[in-house]
Amino acid sequence: MSIARRNLLQDKTRLALSVLGIALSVMLILVLSGFLTGVYKQSSAYLANTPGSVAVVQNGVSNFYGSASILPSGTLETVRKTEGVSRVIPVTSQIIIFEVHGKKQGAQVVGYDPAFGGGPWSLAEGRGIQADDEIVVDQTLAGAHNINVNDKFTLLGRELTVVGKSKQTAMWAASVMFIRKSALESLLKAPGATSMLLVTPSDGATAQALSDRLRDLPGADVLLKSDIIANDTQLFARVYNGPLLIMVGIAFLVGALIVGLVIYTATMERQREYGALKAIGARNRVLYVIVTIQALIASATGAVVGVGLAFALGQLIMTLRPQFLVSIEPVAIGWALLAGLGMALLGALFPARSIARLAPADVFRR
Amino acid sequence: MLRLAFRNLFQNKTRLVMAVGGVGLALMLMLALDAVFTGAEKQLTAFIDRAGADVFVAQTGVRNLHMVSSWLSYSVVDEVRAVQGVDSVTPIMYVTGMVDTGKERNLAYIIGIPPDALMGKPWRVTEGATIPAPGEAILDRAVAAQSGLRLGDKVNILGQELRIAGLSEGTASITNSIVFISMSDFELMRGVAGKVGAGQDAQAVSFVLVKARPGEAADALAARIEGKVGGVTVQSRANFAEQERNLVKDMAADVLTIMNLVGFVIGLAVMSLTIYTATLARRAEYGALKALGARNGHLYRAVLAQALVSVTLGLALGLAFTLALSALIPVTGSNVALQVSGESLLKVGIASLIIAGLSAILPIRQIGALDPAVVFRRRIQ
Repeated sequence: MSIARRNLLQDKTRLALSVLGIALSVMLILVLSGFLTGVYKQSSAYLANTPGSVAVVQNGVSNFYGSASILPSGTLETVRKTEGVSRVIPVTSQIIIFEVHGKKQGAQVVGYDPAFGGGPWSLAEGRGIQADDEIVVDQTLAGAHNINVNDKFTLLGRELTVVGKSKQTAMWAASVMFIRKSALESLLKAPGATSMLLVTPSDGATAQALSDRLRDLPGADVLLKSDIIANDTQLFARVYNGPLLIMVGIAFLVGALIVGLVIYTATMERQREYGALKAIGARNRVLYVIVTIQALIASATGAVVGVGLAFALGQLIMTLRPQFLVSIEPVAIGWALLAGLGMALLGALFPARSIARLAPADVFRR
Repeated sequence: MLRLAFRNLFQNKTRLVMAVGGVGLALMLMLALDAVFTGAEKQLTAFIDRAGADVFVAQTGVRNLHMVSSWLSYSVVDEVRAVQGVDSVTPIMYVTGMVDTGKERNLAYIIGIPPDALMGKPWRVTEGATIPAPGEAILDRAVAAQSGLRLGDKVNILGQELRIAGLSEGTASITNSIVFISMSDFELMRGVAGKVGAGQDAQAVSFVLVKARPGEAADALAARIEGKVGGVTVQSRANFAEQERNLVKDMAADVLTIMNLVGFVIGLAVMSLTIYTATLARRAEYGALKALGARNGHLYRAVLAQALVSVTLGLALGLAFTLALSALIPVTGSNVALQVSGESLLKVGIASLIIAGLSAILPIRQIGALDPAVVFRRRIQ
């Protein structure tokens, strides 16, 4: 252990650089996974904060994001009359792409009826919707584009007045915006169209029992709200996982190479000492342990620093770009530390190979 | 000096592999991410580029295709057809929805096309029908293969079971695939014709695809249609595709900046480490050069040259890795497309030069302070 430590501490600049390299790799892995977790959390915010545990959608639709759902007319009335139903919130929703200050921006526009609910659950400023020409925009989006209450906002060619700014509705690429349901129906050229019913069971009835009771609604599917949230998460995972895995894989290899490079150089500098150890009877295994311990110390230090850096970078990103949520979970930290361990073991392979080749007689040469 | 730098670098092959490999991977981080977004940009405009239309007519304010909703009254189709300079028109219906293959659910652009469609149909069909009849769907080949589906198998689209009548290529992207169904099925499923009737306009369409008469400029025709037909936004193919690319650019800009910065810093750390250790390991040689009368300026140039050679090799390796990855990914059946652009190469190349310059600073300090007498001491390997 002391040989390993001394070897590693022999050149502090090199050690610092290697710790920094590993820390950056671990940080990248953590920030990427934190970004993904953030997207999942943001994507479930609307459903998680809107009352109801059962969702009624058009037949074949299973998501809130990404799918355009139009329920058959009469579904709302049928559900309302169903036994065990305490409250029904009808909403219409659609992703709309628009431009603000010359930049494209996407928003999940939710049309709700103030009499039934389904609107913003937390307002930073202003009030909820009352009329058809009003809109509540996400606070972060408003901040980024200097949109204020009472400003005019054009959506699909129609001018609306901003009456409020909502909290917890930010999302990269598709923040939630609220307008009156009838206004969205008119914008979508679909009068009377309802995308989803969020149903609350009455006291004593379970969500599952109510969902079973509603199963036979014509032209509609009935899902638990938690299932819709899970489906949305899966939808985003499908899009982000590919590129993310590539990035994490590269970051992992970079980390392993950094560890390898540092320990290899340190080992080569101490070749004579390793030769001497071999000459006095030390087995390769002992030398492997020394090399691996060095790798572990370097990567463990790097990984811990990396976790700290990840939190700092996450905070910086969220301050500079509030539409991003970087949510670093304990599980992700566990995985990142494991990745650090993996980098150490992989990195130790290079110096171990050269030690194994080392002839004990080398020590007596030169 | 370049020779000295080369020798210094190539003297220890293992170290060289790790150093250049590390730099290559760090630069690959930047290249690959750019390539993912460039690839996504290209995939995203596939339908617009290949639909065969010169001009696209959409609902007022709709300038994009991705995930949007556009509804036009059917009367618009005839109004557009009557505009001077229009050769032919094809109305299509469009919605973003799920294709349930039984094994998995995939997000898709669902396009409803008429039986006599001249435009908007799949542009490369590897098997089966090129235009879907009622009850049929044309699915992306990769999506079908992922679920082990063949011609004749059933998929669930917009809640209806349809038979796979054709398999298309080039119709899948990182976010979604494109599936073609008949317009009559689309109307039934969406209730547009009023059958399940949630109040949609009877006989509505999403976009009108327009072919211009020979010699007719697309932009001029687009402006003419917008002037003659009310309640529409009309764009030429080039403009529509540009708007779609801007969508990726504007939305991805922040992510790209952050990731490029991280890649840059990692590259810098790896590079500094490499040049630093390589220089340190060759301290004795530099000492000998100093003892022989070499000036610090000479040695600085040697270290800079070494940094430059390593980064150039690293950049070549990073590019090779990225190109290999972009060739490998489609084989795995993934819909992620990587495309390295010249702009991206230039950006990473400039970043590499800055990395090389900065990485040389650390060891230069060591060399400047080097005592020529070090050469007479115990040789350091």
